[in-house]
Amino acid sequence: MTVPTSADSRRDDPVEDPVEKYVATLSGALRGPARLKGRLVEEIRDGLDDTVAAYMREGASYERAAREAVREFGTPDGIAPSCQRELTIAQARHTARVAALAAPAALGCWGLIRLAGRDHAWQPGPVTELLTLNLAGVATIAAVLAAVTLAVTGPLARRLPTPHRLPLAVAWTGTAASVAMGITALVLVALSLVVADWPLAVAAGALAAVSHAVVAASARTCRRCARLPVA
Amino acid sequence: MRGHLDGLLLAVLEQGPLHGYAIIAAVQERSGGVLELRTGTIYPALQRLERLGLLRSSWDAVGERRRRCYELTEAGRRSLEEERTAWREFTTAIGSVLNPVPTSPGLAT
Repeated sequence: MTVPTSADSRRDDPVEDPVEKYVATLSGALRGPARLKGRLVEEIRDGLDDTVAAYMREGASYERAAREAVREFGTPDGIAPSCQRELTIAQARHTARVAALAAPAALGCWGLIRLAGRDHAWQPGPVTELLTLNLAGVATIAAVLAAVTLAVTGPLARRLPTPHRLPLAVAWTGTAASVAMGITALVLVALSLVVADWPLAVAAGALAAVSHAVVAASARTCRRCARLPVA
Repeated sequence: MRGHLDGLLLAVLEQGPLHGYAIIAAVQERSGGVLELRTGTIYPALQRLERLGLLRSSWDAVGERRRRCYELTEAGRRSLEEERTAWREFTTAIGSVLNPVPTSPGLAT
């Protein structure tokens, strides 16, 4: 005799299927890195499927088994904060890494622009020097915060509690780094009008623009995650 | 219960890799059905233990299906021993208070 699995018996209308409805509600409530969120939701769906199959082996109908499985798991609103905590920390770690990478990207950009002005027809003015200093400051803070974040949310978290406001601090540091890279991109493109090797200056501006886009997207998601309740 | 969840999850994985549902079933079976976990919270807890380096995971074939299976790392085994030691000390202390060893009247001050 073949025992039907939950997948065999799933209702045709996914909107009315308790398992599908549960997974869709939970997925809609969570924010964070797409790959990790997808993995977490898929594991929970697998767990629900296994629970439904176990009830069906005891003789329950699919509808009853699905209702019981969903009840056992707890409401989506009830388990979302636990899931969101892991996703928020993962997003903070990701944002910390990309914000830290803005430092070498910035150094690369300024190296390129100095190379582009090597014929001495153009020399950096005081505004450009001040901008470089600010950029270096933001990049240093981002790199230090990234190292701290990766340490306290990794193996050190076995001994130390993760600071509650750390994801928000990472989000705003990432935002600051992305703004700095955006301004750098604009300045580099403007400088391409006065330096001898303008294609190199445009390339440096493009590198800064890409760095800005990557850090800004991650920081935006991190801000959204940091606003959600966690348990 | 929540404070002991890590220890329970590490303990049922001591004998070998298991996937999420099998972990839940193992906890319930070992406790004789007394411990009822809020099943949905197990999955983020497993991810947290993996982030802490106490577990590692991979997608494995379980029957005809593909499931995320978890196993203990060396750090996880050490953490489990620490959990056991802490639990023994805790139960000994509580036991000493609840069931005091009778002292002879002559020793009472």
